[in-house]
Amino acid sequence: MKEGFRQAMAWLHTWAGLIFGWLLFAIFLTGTLSYFKGEITHWMQPEVPAHAVDDARSVAVAQRYLEQHAPTAARWFIGLPDSRDPGLSVMWQDKIDPGRRGNFIEKMLDPVSGEQLQARETMGGEFFYRFHFQLQMPHPWGRWLSTIAAMVMFVALITGIITHKKIFKDFFTFRPRKGQRSWLDGHNAVGVLVLPFHLMITYSSLVIFMTMVMPASIIASYDGDTRAFFNELFPATDNAPALGQPGKLLPLAPLVEQARAQWDGGHVGRLAVNNPGDVNASVNVSRAGSDRVVHDFGSTVSFNGNTGQLLRVSAEQSLPMAIGGSFYGLHMGHFAGPLLRWLYFICGLAGTAMIGTGLVIWLGKRQLKHAKTGVMPFELRLVEVLNLASMSGLLIAIAVFFWANRLLPATFAERSDWEVQSFFIAWGLTLLHAMLRRCRRAWIEQLGLGAVLFMAVPLLNALTTSEHLGVSLAKGDWAMAGFDLTCLGSGLFLAWAAWKMQHRSAVQPRAERARPLTLKGEVH
Amino acid sequence: MLLALLLCYAGFVALCLSLDRHHGELLHSKPSPRRRLGLRVGGWLLLALSIWPAVHMAGWSRGLVDWCAVLMLSGLLLVLLLPYRPRLALILAGVGLLASPVAAFATL
Repeated sequence: MKEGFRQAMAWLHTWAGLIFGWLLFAIFLTGTLSYFKGEITHWMQPEVPAHAVDDARSVAVAQRYLEQHAPTAARWFIGLPDSRDPGLSVMWQDKIDPGRRGNFIEKMLDPVSGEQLQARETMGGEFFYRFHFQLQMPHPWGRWLSTIAAMVMFVALITGIITHKKIFKDFFTFRPRKGQRSWLDGHNAVGVLVLPFHLMITYSSLVIFMTMVMPASIIASYDGDTRAFFNELFPATDNAPALGQPGKLLPLAPLVEQARAQWDGGHVGRLAVNNPGDVNASVNVSRAGSDRVVHDFGSTVSFNGNTGQLLRVSAEQSLPMAIGGSFYGLHMGHFAGPLLRWLYFICGLAGTAMIGTGLVIWLGKRQLKHAKTGVMPFELRLVEVLNLASMSGLLIAIAVFFWANRLLPATFAERSDWEVQSFFIAWGLTLLHAMLRRCRRAWIEQLGLGAVLFMAVPLLNALTTSEHLGVSLAKGDWAMAGFDLTCLGSGLFLAWAAWKMQHRSAVQPRAERARPLTLKGEVH
Repeated sequence: MLLALLLCYAGFVALCLSLDRHHGELLHSKPSPRRRLGLRVGGWLLLALSIWPAVHMAGWSRGLVDWCAVLMLSGLLLVLLLPYRPRLALILAGVGLLASPVAAFATL
């Protein structure tokens, strides 16, 4: 009975992992890149220069700009720069239209000179972030699909733990250069060692979308009016309406300092100013998400904009909100400093590697049976093509996205859309290539192409902008330099992988024959 | 975070040595039952102890996150070093243990 249960779990692990593996690989890889969302955006908008962060100066600069360009706006928003993404963004809304969201005008400012920057249009790191849970699909569908994938991932993790017979005995085991055995060792090692991360990231993603996936309790308690639930959960800041008498807005920088004192020196993320030119102006200062592990969805301090009187400090979180917020905070990792952020990134890569190795194992195990005849059944060929396109193809597509950012002219209309288009076109082409070429050749060629594209990114950056490695390292612009260096490192890794593939294909037949017998009992 | 890393890594090496197979690979001998027990207890103690500097430095919420990250990383590092540079894996643990009082003195 016990063995039967484990076998059933192994079956579930195998097939759930296969069917959703390709999608999960893409979700994990793009999600991992999102940990450096700000840095990627910074690289993709080289026109925005990096400066030492100074909130008081940034706020003053933004206020001066907005007073000149949007004195009569109904609302201003100021997004402060941080060390990861140096852009100072100002937005305003001329008239508040409750029926419509949006109609904002957004500008990017230099936080020192206050001049408006002509930054190229791009989604930057936001593209990967959006893709990892919306999958470039129309509104609810992408979220649903990625949430289902997360659920399957959770199932695969649990069944994987049950299937893995010797978790403690094999805890430190990794035997390289042993073909299929090494893949399984690697799959188990990254799976088990980074298990806390896998469980956290998968479970928290389900928590983040819980109101979408399991709305039953909300529908029952609020008579089907989910909006009422959210209104109660996140009460709108009920700022006083404009009186129609012109007022004089105080300098915002001292208010920011006052707000920080309320948070024991916490950091400010953004400011919203309502009716800036009116007697009834109000200023809401929101706390940066990077301050605490437990994410607080609405930690704000409100002031009267004319008198500077403190109007309201948002209440402490309730316990359920704090629990939800801690899962959200852990998933997003906004609070992570550079070191912890890199560890998050490594954990994300480990998760991606776990999924990738799983897909390779599935195919490798079945290919062994057909190694002698040399004829592959259609379904194995299909898996092989999808493996190729979903793994090496995605890497190429990511590199092409970065290349498109530098090669499309900065003034080109809809260039931001075209960057995204080029990502998907490149991905589609790798699928075509995988179908046309023989398996091992296709791997070598795609990994090789990915290697060249990634390794050339620093060179491309040097040729097309004035922010090459020499400049960015000298300036201490670590976001920019780190991006170039990481691309270079990724390129070298892919080159190594391609070389390994090429090298192995030469000695393969002899090694392959000896293995199948010993493997049978061990692979689950 | 450094002290937590040193302790975690040393703890994992001790736990790894408490397994016959790895003891044989690394030290070319089979551990005596007493030694096996000592390594196991020592390893778990080091892992438990490593929570303390992490929490001490960054508070409970952030400290525990740091600790988990360091725990996973040190395990990955050890497993990656074992097949390729087994001697280095051991030397690192020794150096780490020796350096940890210095790290403790410098950071706490």
